[in-house]
Amino acid sequence: MTRTRWMVAMVAALFMSVACSDEPTNAGSGPGTLVLRLTSPHADDGAMTFQVHGPSIESASVNGSLQLFTLRVNDSTLVGAVIGTLANGAIITLHVPDESVAAAYTATLREVADREDALRASLAGYALTVTR
Amino acid sequence: MRIVLFAMLALIGTTTALAQTPRPGSWQDAVRRLRDAHVVHPIRSARVAARPTAIIAEREPNDSIRTADSAALGDRAIGVVNPARDVDTWFIDLTEGQLFSVDVDAEVLGSPLDAHLVLFAPDGRTVLAFNDDFDGLDSRISFRVPASGRYFVQLSSFGQNGGSPQATYALNFGTVTCSGLGTEREPNDSPENPTRIAIGDSGTGEICPVIERPTGDVDYWAITAQAGTTLDLSVDAASFGFAGDPILALYAPDGTTRLAFNDDFIGSNSRLQFSITTTSTYYAAVANVQGFGDPFRYTLHVGTITPGPGDPITVRAENLGVPLGMAVGGTGDVFVSDVSGDRVLRISADNRVTTFATGITAPLSVAFDASGQLLVSSLAGGVYRVTPQGQATRFITDGIFPFWIAVAPDGRIWITDLGNRSLRRYSATGQFETSFDGIGIGGSGPGPLAIGPSGEPYVSNGTEIWRLRNGRFERLLTDGALIWAFAFDVAGNIYAPSPVTGTLKLFDSTGAVLADPFAVGPDAPQAVAFGRDGTGATLARVFAIDPLAGRLFEVNPAAVRQRGLPGYVTPPFSLDIAAAGLLRAAGLSAADLQYLDALGNHNGRYDVGDLRAYLRVLQGSNR
Repeated sequence: MTRTRWMVAMVAALFMSVACSDEPTNAGSGPGTLVLRLTSPHADDGAMTFQVHGPSIESASVNGSLQLFTLRVNDSTLVGAVIGTLANGAIITLHVPDESVAAAYTATLREVADREDALRASLAGYALTVTR
Repeated sequence: MRIVLFAMLALIGTTTALAQTPRPGSWQDAVRRLRDAHVVHPIRSARVAARPTAIIAEREPNDSIRTADSAALGDRAIGVVNPARDVDTWFIDLTEGQLFSVDVDAEVLGSPLDAHLVLFAPDGRTVLAFNDDFDGLDSRISFRVPASGRYFVQLSSFGQNGGSPQATYALNFGTVTCSGLGTEREPNDSPENPTRIAIGDSGTGEICPVIERPTGDVDYWAITAQAGTTLDLSVDAASFGFAGDPILALYAPDGTTRLAFNDDFIGSNSRLQFSITTTSTYYAAVANVQGFGDPFRYTLHVGTITPGPGDPITVRAENLGVPLGMAVGGTGDVFVSDVSGDRVLRISADNRVTTFATGITAPLSVAFDASGQLLVSSLAGGVYRVTPQGQATRFITDGIFPFWIAVAPDGRIWITDLGNRSLRRYSATGQFETSFDGIGIGGSGPGPLAIGPSGEPYVSNGTEIWRLRNGRFERLLTDGALIWAFAFDVAGNIYAPSPVTGTLKLFDSTGAVLADPFAVGPDAPQAVAFGRDGTGATLARVFAIDPLAGRLFEVNPAAVRQRGLPGYVTPPFSLDIAAAGLLRAAGLSAADLQYLDALGNHNGRYDVGDLRAYLRVLQGSNR
């Protein structure tokens, strides 16, 4: 390889590297967000408690119509309660240091109450999944 | 019945609030009877001589003391109440110690007159006794003469609105004579000389005064009872045809400790039950409730019944005056209102009694509000709020006659107003919000009040319990006896005191009877409440107060399966703490957890549904 060709190759490599780092988060590793999505067999859910386990969860948030309370159990476990008009779909946003490892996170529903405050006797048909 | 009405009106003459629409058998009347119960002493009654020594006719005008006609013992005076509002007055000279009796014969002779009698002292102004109906509509007064002198008897039509040429009467002046009939053996006026009677037997006697016994006739009966049995005593006087009003008491083997008491179980007849814990001889005492009643015969029935699961009861505190309302505070102390002592008492966990607050006229119901202060309704009107230090200030003043108070889980205050028979709701800070007409529930409702598991108010109308749901009253249960201040456990079961039967009853949340009796032996239990521990958490312990005995009882705790409904406990924590307590499953007291569960789905534990309810409460929204 001539010196000129070597420099072209290095510049191209550098360009490619920079280009990769500027891509959206779903394209590689690094800090970002994951979404907890609720699947419910009911149309009148009013509150739920959950637990998320995964590497270094930084924080969680919900949209303005819901109220979220969280408690960090340890570095890798977060428990929380969400109150409001819950519907199927995205409920909670998790802020994590590396969004590329979504598969390392697991979420579990603990309790669900309806909008009359009654606790669901069973969580059959419910699911809380972690997605990017 | 009119006697009661008159006595009540006399009592409430200085109480504006009560003077609205007093009705015999109403809560007002019940309170009056309780308030006066401690000053009622049975005294001698009298019977007129069978044959008059003279028949004398009235001479009008005799409408006043000054123009009274003359009569003597043994005379039979005749007259007519005519025209309307006519009053006939007679004087008679009596000797100290005599058992004077004056008896009207009018209805019994076919006259349309409904007579009313009043006996005046020698000063012509002091009313010594009065009577409306004794023998049917005919009146009778019996009275022990306190000092020799000239006394006055005034006869009129009841209400002074009758009178006609046909309203004739005969007035018999005499002294007491006793029949001497019955199986009792006089003298039996003390536990030292009782007439013995066995369980399963009936005895007959006569409450009849004699000069030698200035304190009045009391018949004592000795009963040997075995531990584990529950005595069932009843007195029947009504069957003998006159308006005798017997009272019945049961005394301990020492002859002085009163264990149980009853007046007017059915009509004027009395009945009581008491669970025996020690085999021994006990004493039943029969007397006359009224100071101006006449001699009457009675039958005493002595039997046993199966005790309730809440037996035996245990006395926790005595000498409480006339306790009517009860609330248990956040530290487990019991607070009772002494309607006769114008005070609120505190009974600590070690059963020590101290005065908590004074200066509240005839306190009725008590309940803790959202700020942890004690609300107290007063017979004189208004609701007071008492600080934890015992300082009372007027708090709610817009009710006509606030009677019973309860505080809902959301902190709202509910009051039954006897003035217009309504159920009124106030904010936690005492601002009037709305009222619900309670006339439609009938009886004497709405009366004593409690908050149910779902936060809705329940009221007694006397013999029924109704709940207010979505702004409408629904009847939950009907019982044959009077129901006073009841309480719920967490399962919605209702512990209801029945003062007339001297029992506590237990109903389930649908109103079905679970135990009747649940416990027997309180004289006339008037209010029930669940105990709390030092954190304010309710316990599976049921207390009852008895105004007639002035005592605080506890039923057998082994029979109380559920702890009490928490009711309102001041939330001392923020929403974040409530949430953290749920997520961490720690950090909240038992009372806090009960409170939160009661706010929400009351399923027995604190969960996310309860947190949702708490959030709503703090945001001030109903849903």
